[in-house]
Amino acid sequence: MNRVWKKVMAAGLATVTLCSAAACGSSVGASDVPVVPADGDVTIRLNWWGGDARIKATEQAVKGFEAEHPNIHVDMEYSDWTGYWDKLAVQSAGGNAPDVMQMDELYLAFYGSMGSLLDLNKASQYLDLSTMDASLKSMGQVEGEQVAAPATTAQYGVIVNNDVLDSLGLTLPDTDQWTWNDFEKFAQQVTERSAGQYIGSIAPNNGYGLQLWARQHGESLFKGNAITISPKTLASFLQLPADWAKNGIEGNAERWSENTAASLNDTDFGKGKQAMMITQATMITPYAEAAGTQNMTVVPMPQVTPGAKTMYLKPGMYWAISSGSQHPAEAAMLIDYLINNKQAGAVLGTERGIPASNDIRKMLAGSASGTDKSALNFVDDIQPTIGKAPAITPNGASELDKTIVRYQQDVVFGKRKPLEAAKSMIAELQESIDFAS
Amino acid sequence: MSSFSEFGSLVKKRHKPKDKPTDTKVALGFLAPWLIGALFLSLIPMVDSLVISFTKYNMIKPPQFVGLMNYRHMLADPRFINSLTVTLIYVVISVPLQLVAALALAVLLDRGMRGLAFYRSAFYLPSMLGGSVAVAVLWKMVFGSDGLFNALLGLLGIDTSMSWIANPDTANWTLIALHVWQFGSPMVIFLAGLRQIPRELYEAASVDGAGKWRQFRSITLPMLSPIIFFNLVMSVINSFQTFTQAYVVSGGTGGPSDSTLFYTLYLYQQGFASLRMGYASALAWIMVLIVAALTGINFALSKFWVHYDD
Repeated sequence: MNRVWKKVMAAGLATVTLCSAAACGSSVGASDVPVVPADGDVTIRLNWWGGDARIKATEQAVKGFEAEHPNIHVDMEYSDWTGYWDKLAVQSAGGNAPDVMQMDELYLAFYGSMGSLLDLNKASQYLDLSTMDASLKSMGQVEGEQVAAPATTAQYGVIVNNDVLDSLGLTLPDTDQWTWNDFEKFAQQVTERSAGQYIGSIAPNNGYGLQLWARQHGESLFKGNAITISPKTLASFLQLPADWAKNGIEGNAERWSENTAASLNDTDFGKGKQAMMITQATMITPYAEAAGTQNMTVVPMPQVTPGAKTMYLKPGMYWAISSGSQHPAEAAMLIDYLINNKQAGAVLGTERGIPASNDIRKMLAGSASGTDKSALNFVDDIQPTIGKAPAITPNGASELDKTIVRYQQDVVFGKRKPLEAAKSMIAELQESIDFAS
Repeated sequence: MSSFSEFGSLVKKRHKPKDKPTDTKVALGFLAPWLIGALFLSLIPMVDSLVISFTKYNMIKPPQFVGLMNYRHMLADPRFINSLTVTLIYVVISVPLQLVAALALAVLLDRGMRGLAFYRSAFYLPSMLGGSVAVAVLWKMVFGSDGLFNALLGLLGIDTSMSWIANPDTANWTLIALHVWQFGSPMVIFLAGLRQIPRELYEAASVDGAGKWRQFRSITLPMLSPIIFFNLVMSVINSFQTFTQAYVVSGGTGGPSDSTLFYTLYLYQQGFASLRMGYASALAWIMVLIVAALTGINFALSKFWVHYDD
């Protein structure tokens, strides 16, 4: 019996032990702990995923919180993205979820609809969510409950490495009005002029990119538990990497495939070998650091119809409280501190994204410099194109990002035709959603 | 199978009625650590996973009985079929290659060259490291577009920037290469087996004028066949359960395009990423059946080529 087996079996054993102790499902119902601060000393647990910069910043912010609340001690745990969700699932199964957890839009509907998360309205006395836009706040709701508080927003844009453009003698076209056609033409020039030493860009390959693509085509990705994007629009998105491999924008198919799997420092854009990257505006700072340049800017996404209101305030990350928390009031105070406190805001900066609180964002924009400043100002730049918030990713579609990449690979390597891939992907996702609900 | 019956008679001989009953208790006492582990970490969870395989279970809501649904779902699941194909290709190609490499080196090392201990350790080293995360990460770099492998090809005059890991047609081959590279443990077992072959057989054969190749075919291979069989069975079972390498090299996705989606990796994805614990448990049980069937086939075929010296 090898390790995998043991893992699978350990999970099985955990459930047997749990169930036999008549605790099976005990984590489902919310605990009846009243949301009031305890009298004595309290320890709460805080979990997040992320790298070194996040660990440093969060630890420092938490220190500030503990100084303000001497009776509250915060235990911190962190992991990488994949490990985080494995761990959270097992912890939740064991009724041992952390009091405060970092949450993502892909998993919100799952944990929210399982009753694993506290309705933050119950803790509104300790947690002020009025500092953020209503449309943003609404994206933390599942089945009418405010199960999570958006901590940051993530705006998609195009990050441009101006060093690459300068060395090739290229100037960006008018990016406020550019179409995908303009973008592709320009990106192609980068690869051609540099004879493949630099590549123009790589095609978007995740759920956020797909959502924006759907909105630009007058559709939406989800509505409730239904997938509403048309096979035709999805097919065109799945085909992008194949088209861009063919016309040289992303070098070739393998280079795209390698770039999508690599960690930030090993990507072409991170190594300064790529001119433009379609991603979250705040990623400009880590990319600039990796590529060793300050000469980066962020410009709006190309659109199908320039100026259309297709953007939206997407929560980058959320904070949520476990419904089984023994100290929901203290947990709410911690989230309030992380979201609304000025000192915490200064420490956390834009590492998790653009702060959800408008006050904190304005405060940071006033003092920021360099790449951070362009990311913070970007929200104002795209304000005219921000439309209504879309439905959040339904329970059962948490694997959306990986599924997109898999089908794009099928198309790029000629294993499926785009439309066939699109139909198959919709069927697979819908099955998964129906199964979960 | 004579070694088995010998073992049986040995046990019988020792178990005399005179033995005090307390011996059993003492034996059980010494066995306890293993027994407790086997019971609580293997047996109970196994039974448990069998039960879960008939349920719909996402780890948070209580399991819900669904009969054979999970097993039926497999028939309509193209990714399940694909993971089976990928794994079988991997097993069928990498196991024989690895055993041939192991045997060839064992025969070479058996000639009693100088510094044998050093070479033995050096060749065994990959087996110690091969399953580790560090080597899988290294592998990813070696076969990347600007990796060592392409640099090597460049020296040979083949200029390519192909990424062997990122292309679905070659990705599985890099993992096969990684498996073959870990020929150390079968090699050590072969070495031990070679030492058991009586030298007189070779002397007699050479007196009769048999060449090296003839000696290898007519003496070494038949005499070594029980060891080859043992290595084959273990290798098939182990390689069917390959997980870490594929997980690390593909970043947990089994990509590109599901070309390295090994059975265990798919099982893990279904269980811990999609939270379909019922389906994952059913997959686990089908894997047990497949591995048992492969082992059964191996045993059935063994009587045609495995010789026990009696």
